[in-house]
Amino acid sequence: MRYMLLVYGADPEAETDGSAPPPAGTGLGRIPWVDQLVGLGVELHDGAMLRDAAVATTVRAGGGDVLLSDGPFAEAREQIVGYQVIECADLDAALEAAARHPALGGGCAVEIRPIAQQRGDGGPSSRHGDW
Amino acid sequence: MKYMMFVCAEREPIETPAAVQEAPAAEPQNQQAEPEKEADDGSFPWLDEMVSRGVRLDGDRLKPWHMAKTVRVRGDEVLVVDGPFAETKDVIVGYDILECASLEEAVEVASKHPVAAFGSIEVRQFWDGVA
Repeated sequence: MRYMLLVYGADPEAETDGSAPPPAGTGLGRIPWVDQLVGLGVELHDGAMLRDAAVATTVRAGGGDVLLSDGPFAEAREQIVGYQVIECADLDAALEAAARHPALGGGCAVEIRPIAQQRGDGGPSSRHGDW
Repeated sequence: MKYMMFVCAEREPIETPAAVQEAPAAEPQNQQAEPEKEADDGSFPWLDEMVSRGVRLDGDRLKPWHMAKTVRVRGDEVLVVDGPFAETKDVIVGYDILECASLEEAVEVASKHPVAAFGSIEVRQFWDGVA
């Protein structure tokens, strides 16, 4: 099973222009966690830090018009600061991996979302689904 | 530059626990609830276009929002709760990772995604070179 880990952290209000350094421990740089994953039987596929939600662009395209708005899709104090995609046997293993996520120590929360896995071979050019 | 597209749509209603556990997909009500799935012929022009342009690197659908778990740490305690982190009207239903020349191109790609017509798409730039 594949799971997406969404790391939520406090969005530093609108003070930022997105050029501030990312909060520590929200990416993959904390190697001990990556090493722990191997021991848990969890494979790390992908992951990254994202620039601040304050500099996100949200796109809506109804009725032929494209509407752009600054900021994330949902107004909330805490926003997604990074993500990882992991593969493991079951949800328990994913929870175990998430519970050791280094960002938790920095006050972040980690949301675990099962991936629909509609792609066949796990390759990068796989199909996204049937919207 | 790499960008994350969070594909967002309104929360689907929660199916009954029995329906979730046993997944009786053959029930007519369930088919009516997700007509786009039943009608799918495997084609996805947006994906074909963006893969051939070389802008779409990876992505997938996520399973329904109510299957999420959220992990937090309070003191020494790891807390796991059912459900997504944020109580928002719209939820993330999928993601795509893009490699684009500019934010303008990423927004153009997002605006053509079929979900942009009824949902919203948050475009977030990656932190380059930050693990």
